[in-house]
Amino acid sequence: MNLDKVISGFFIILAMTLNFGFFYGDLDSLEAHSKYELFAAIIVNLIATTLKLGDKTQMGSVLLATSLVADIQLIAAAIVWAIAYYVYVIDKEIVAIIISLSGGALLANITSVALYVGETLKSKR
Amino acid sequence: MQNTSLWIILQKMRIPFIVIILTYTIAIIGLVSIDGMDANGNVHKMTIFDALYFISYTATTIGFGETPYTFTYSQRLWVTFSIYLTVIGWFYGIGTLIGLLQNKTFLNEIARVKFRRQIGHIRKKYIIVLGFSYVTNEIIKRLLANDMQVVVIEKSEEKANALILENYTPTVPVLVLDAYKANALEQAGINKSNCKAVISLFEDDALNLRIAIVSRLLNKNIQLAIKATTPNSVNNLKDINTNVIANPFSTIANELKMAIKSPNLLKLEKWIYKIDTLDSHLVKLPVGKYIICGFGRLGKNIYRALKNEDIEFVFIEIDPNKTQEFQEESLHQMIIGDADDKNVLLKAGIKTATAVVAFTNNDTTNISILATAKKLNDDIITIAREDEIEDVSIFSNAQIDYLFMPSKILVNKITNALINPLADTFARAIKRKDEKWATSLVRSLVQNIDANPVLFELSINSSQAHQICEYIEASNEIALSIFEISLHNRNLKNNVIALLLKRDDEIVILPSLDTPLKIDDKLLFACDENAQNDIEYIAQNPYEFHYALNGEEKTLFKKG
Repeated sequence: MNLDKVISGFFIILAMTLNFGFFYGDLDSLEAHSKYELFAAIIVNLIATTLKLGDKTQMGSVLLATSLVADIQLIAAAIVWAIAYYVYVIDKEIVAIIISLSGGALLANITSVALYVGETLKSKR
Repeated sequence: MQNTSLWIILQKMRIPFIVIILTYTIAIIGLVSIDGMDANGNVHKMTIFDALYFISYTATTIGFGETPYTFTYSQRLWVTFSIYLTVIGWFYGIGTLIGLLQNKTFLNEIARVKFRRQIGHIRKKYIIVLGFSYVTNEIIKRLLANDMQVVVIEKSEEKANALILENYTPTVPVLVLDAYKANALEQAGINKSNCKAVISLFEDDALNLRIAIVSRLLNKNIQLAIKATTPNSVNNLKDINTNVIANPFSTIANELKMAIKSPNLLKLEKWIYKIDTLDSHLVKLPVGKYIICGFGRLGKNIYRALKNEDIEFVFIEIDPNKTQEFQEESLHQMIIGDADDKNVLLKAGIKTATAVVAFTNNDTTNISILATAKKLNDDIITIAREDEIEDVSIFSNAQIDYLFMPSKILVNKITNALINPLADTFARAIKRKDEKWATSLVRSLVQNIDANPVLFELSINSSQAHQICEYIEASNEIALSIFEISLHNRNLKNNVIALLLKRDDEIVILPSLDTPLKIDDKLLFACDENAQNDIEYIAQNPYEFHYALNGEEKTLFKKG
């Protein structure tokens, strides 16, 4: 067993599951979408990204790219939410933006997990 | 993925990044979950954004105060804890980053990336020089003066810094790496199409050979200028088609032979290699008895050069092991003993000798030998060699009649071969000529041109001689004599002597002026600057060419 693999696998999959947890629910109200879950998703995504840093292989680069996409989408969702909350009003459009951004991040996370699983299956050790 | 330095940073920054993220997260979660109080005494929970904002300026030790409302004591307890947590996390991250920037591997990587970028930006022809020393320094200066660019690979950081202090223009990129590695040559751009040559002049023959082979394998069209000191390594280098093989010992041996047998040939060679002018005073080395001290690599080369000439010579060598291979055939020409010993010199016949040649590998011994010899025989000619050219020369004060400077010859030979290939061919071709031929050529050069004529190379191709090419392609015949015409007045002749004509692989020395020109001919002229100007005009300018050919001005419109 490789502890490095356990840790990075844990964070990559946790990033996806938290992201899904935030995304899942009614698409036009924020009641079913916890801001704490978004916060947790962002943190875990950032950690997953950091763990992928500095890997010079082809697979490492693609994994890093997917993670960066997820980060950007989730952070954008959080920024939109914060701005709307403090300086604007949270209307239906804002809700749609927040949820669809996190949906996009979810896709990136799924890709990332798929690649990760594929690479693990390929490895003989 | 070429940019390794970025990856090194990223890899090493993983843990600091994670530490920062975790400390922020812990602090933010605490702030969000602890109840606060607003101005009216109502319970107020901080939002995630409030907490992030507060922690951001606290962790970076900026400290704007307690926002949005003054904290309660339970909040302050948590903030006290978070300050230590986040500030330590933040400093750890910054500390690691700064440590990385001073890391040797990382700095080397940055230098390498810079070097590669410099190589990528070179558009002109360039030459890779291996090792930085006095000799290569001279070579670099000459190459730069002739509009070539140079790249240096040097093993020692100290010497690389010395090179940077030379402040060459244009900049000479330097890579600190062992030159014998294929990787180093590859990084220096040996595969690039504008990389023309590799120069390797290390002391170690095996290293030079290895570099030559690696370079040849990496780029089969590249020119190689390699130093070799034994016949064996010379042969090995010939096997891989080395273009210039620099052997300082055989160079000295040949020069000594030429100085005795054909001084004017030597004069020509020195002029071609730009060491001396044609009217320089040469010490006459008469045919007679020569005492040569030292039978190492240089002594053996001299032996090979002189054995078939009618020159009497005696070798003195201190180490009997060195003389073994030549002992049988030349026993009477070999004395084993210390050349610095008066009795040994007397035994070698110093009283009747014409010249004494001190070629041992110790400078002070050499000077001492010559001083002893001069005392024993006042008329003797003293000959010495000086290996390293340095600012203060002990030899120049020792009043030696004839001083050989192999490093100077090395510098000139190599640069000439790379910059003026035709002049180099000419210098090699005239070695087969005799003294009489050389004397008449020197006289005609000095009389017709001057004591230091310009060597000028011209190829009959569309870039260098556009007009001539067009004229020949229109199936006209044109002779070499067109280049002799003075543009000032067509009936006068310029001071030009055609030294060499190279057509395919055939070489004609001193071609006659009525030789018809062909496309792709390569010509070498000795001329003055005015004549060189005229030749370039005739070769390229349609009006001047027309005038030289017909003696009238070319007109664009026919005059009605």
